[in-house]
Amino acid sequence: MMQPQEQSATSAPLDFFAGIGRRAFNFIGELGAVTIFFLHGLFLIFSLPFQFKKIVQHIYFIGVKSVLIISLIGLFTGMVLGLQGYYSLVKFGSEGLLGAAVALSLIRELGPVLAALMIIGRAGSSIAAEIGIMRISEQIDALDTMDINPVRYLISPRIAASIIVFPLLTAFFDVIGIVGGYLTGVVMLQINSGIFMNSIYSSVEWADVSEGFIKSFVFAAIVSTICCYEGYFTHMRPGGFGARGVSLATTSAVVISCVLVLIADYVLTSFLM
Amino acid sequence: MTDNTAKKPFIEFRNVTKRFGDRTILDNVNVSIYRGEITAIIGKSGVGKSVFLKHIIGLMKPDSGEILFEGRPLAGMKRNEWTAFKRSVSYMFQQNALFDSLNVFENIALPLRERTSMKDREIREKVQQKLEQFEIEEVLDKYPSQISGGMQKRVALARALVTDPEIILFDEPTTGLDPLRKNAVLAMIAHHQREIGFTAVMVSHDIPDVFFISNRVAIIENKKVPFQGTPVELEQSDNEVVRQFLLGQESLKDELTGLLTKHELERLLNSELARMGQYQNRLTLILFTINDLKQVREKIGYILEQRLVQCLGMMLKKHFGMIGTSARYDTCSIVTVLPHTDKERAVKHLERLKKEMQEMALLKADKYPKSCVDISVMAGIASTDRPVTIESLVREAKNEQQLMARLSCSGNGVKE
Amino acid sequence: MKKYSMEVTVGIFIFIGLLFVGYLTVKLGKMELVGSNYYTIFANFDTIGGLKKDSSVRMAGVEIGRVGEIKLDIDSLTARIAMKIRKGVPIQEDAIASVKTNGLIGDKYVSISPGGSEDLLGDGDVLTDTEPPIDIESLLGKYVFGSVKK
Repeated sequence: MMQPQEQSATSAPLDFFAGIGRRAFNFIGELGAVTIFFLHGLFLIFSLPFQFKKIVQHIYFIGVKSVLIISLIGLFTGMVLGLQGYYSLVKFGSEGLLGAAVALSLIRELGPVLAALMIIGRAGSSIAAEIGIMRISEQIDALDTMDINPVRYLISPRIAASIIVFPLLTAFFDVIGIVGGYLTGVVMLQINSGIFMNSIYSSVEWADVSEGFIKSFVFAAIVSTICCYEGYFTHMRPGGFGARGVSLATTSAVVISCVLVLIADYVLTSFLM
Repeated sequence: MTDNTAKKPFIEFRNVTKRFGDRTILDNVNVSIYRGEITAIIGKSGVGKSVFLKHIIGLMKPDSGEILFEGRPLAGMKRNEWTAFKRSVSYMFQQNALFDSLNVFENIALPLRERTSMKDREIREKVQQKLEQFEIEEVLDKYPSQISGGMQKRVALARALVTDPEIILFDEPTTGLDPLRKNAVLAMIAHHQREIGFTAVMVSHDIPDVFFISNRVAIIENKKVPFQGTPVELEQSDNEVVRQFLLGQESLKDELTGLLTKHELERLLNSELARMGQYQNRLTLILFTINDLKQVREKIGYILEQRLVQCLGMMLKKHFGMIGTSARYDTCSIVTVLPHTDKERAVKHLERLKKEMQEMALLKADKYPKSCVDISVMAGIASTDRPVTIESLVREAKNEQQLMARLSCSGNGVKE
Repeated sequence: MKKYSMEVTVGIFIFIGLLFVGYLTVKLGKMELVGSNYYTIFANFDTIGGLKKDSSVRMAGVEIGRVGEIKLDIDSLTARIAMKIRKGVPIQEDAIASVKTNGLIGDKYVSISPGGSEDLLGDGDVLTDTEPPIDIESLLGKYVFGSVKK
């Protein structure tokens, strides 16, 4: 009776560290695989003949179809920022800075991040699911046997479309968010509209705007790559085959992209400040 | 075609071994595939037939051994050689792998669009031609999920053929189809293979239907290939593994007609013939053949062709069910064995059957208002009182064949 | 939605998106589209109290430029700031620069009061008269302890 206990006692700490090591190893391997996948897809965007039509299709799917939700979320985010900002600033008698507060938080932070999160929810999940289904129904193998490079055919147009769409949707989000802030600040709470707009004009810098766009480019790369990657390698996923595998792939595509977007946001903010 | 010893193999597996983890799927497999032939790969499900096929096109790589294409190993090919090879191969997947977000037309056009520099109009023409060949014009703007399984197969077949490949790999082209459509698909493949002359490798478990159309058969069993050769060689093989395999795989009844299979018939006949020595019996065999099936296929379609065979089978079963046994002999022939029956009685039976057959709905001209076809059903009788081989009986019956019923194009068919 | 083709909707989407991007970059971000339209002058402050790079420089409340690089002048141990002033705006030699605040806790900016001198500052010149920002903490302290005259 003692023997197994003893054995587990001696090997438990080793197992523990072995587990950490294995995970770290897997994680780094995965990171490398994702990076290569992204670079491969990015490189093949520029291979001829240029897949213009497919990119347009994906812009339509990822971009145009997200405009409504992005506008809606942008509007309400701006409105709530206006409201919250007003009640905080009015305590210091600085409600004249409301425009700056709304615009800066939208342009630097909330625009790129919330737009990215909304696109993940709306388009990222379906990218992962679509590619995942193509994988399990052997459509990707079929492409391969037809000598059509699946990465070029499926992944590159999506990455290209995302890189075009993300900054545009972020701009939508920012501008509509500022309109939302204007609605609460000026229309509802009676701040002078000149003061509101002027505080925006005088406080927003090129650095703020460029930071927002740099973020949106990075998020585009992260989201499109992760969602495509998860779908593309659905079949490599342990413990999930068929429809279950696709559902797991979709879930982890959404979760991983969200987490990575927020981490990247922090890292970028600290570098770009 | 049959003289393989003189020919060099087109594709050759040399000592190929494939493992998944610690599970060995293929163990030192050697298979030769010859140009312009249909090679059937048969085996129980899960023995790695698909794995075998995927090796040819590089979807999987062998752990050891090599695969040669015209004597050159695939693994050692240069990039452009590999591309050229890959472009000459089409693969038809078990679940069709049609692109479900593209409609039928786009599915078939995709390989042309993506990897040739053909003009839009040329692509359209080429696809249209395939659509017509496979009788799927009416679904061209439908999506794969909106059409039936049989249609999907045809679309997949059209997509595989649209690039004019030299080699086509079929992974269970008939799974999930009813016997009628199954045979229709096989006939379609055989027909196009004869017309175009591509090399086909077909994984299947439709025994014996697949034997009717293949030139060579290879069996995968227990990680090895215990047999490869022509279907005739297979039937005569005395390798114990092969015999056991065939017994285990073959169903007793032919799926299409509901009659016995050739093998079962042979067994039955052999026991009848053996008994004959003891009790001075006569045994009569009637061979029914439907002629001009090819014409039916060309003018009307694959399904009807199969339905004719099916109808004949059902009729024979009804007629001779009490006194004899019928079995499918090959694609268009059925053999009926009547034990304890002499030739005169058989002729009388045949006379009655003849009337019935002439009334057969499928042989009426008004069934085919649009096309003009010649269909004829022949029957021949052979009788014996001594033990003989089944082949000789069939040969004898074949020589005796006379017309039973006929739908003539110029006679009672559509006037031109 | 069937009325318009996908290309048209995508085109409209990209057009509007680019308009918004343009608004953000040119109007709000004040991206310098053509070359440099500014000249730089320097000023030393005892303290700049929260002034930052790109804070605005105003004259009579109107923005005339931006604060450039800020560093510590090792010789005098004062803050040395560069100011990028829009070309065409004259700054006299005896103009006074002071650090002011928007509202009570708003952004800091540099206010330049014009002087009376005939000599104007050019690119790279130093503005000598400066006023540090009002130290709100000490002001509050004085108010609380009663040393500020009513």
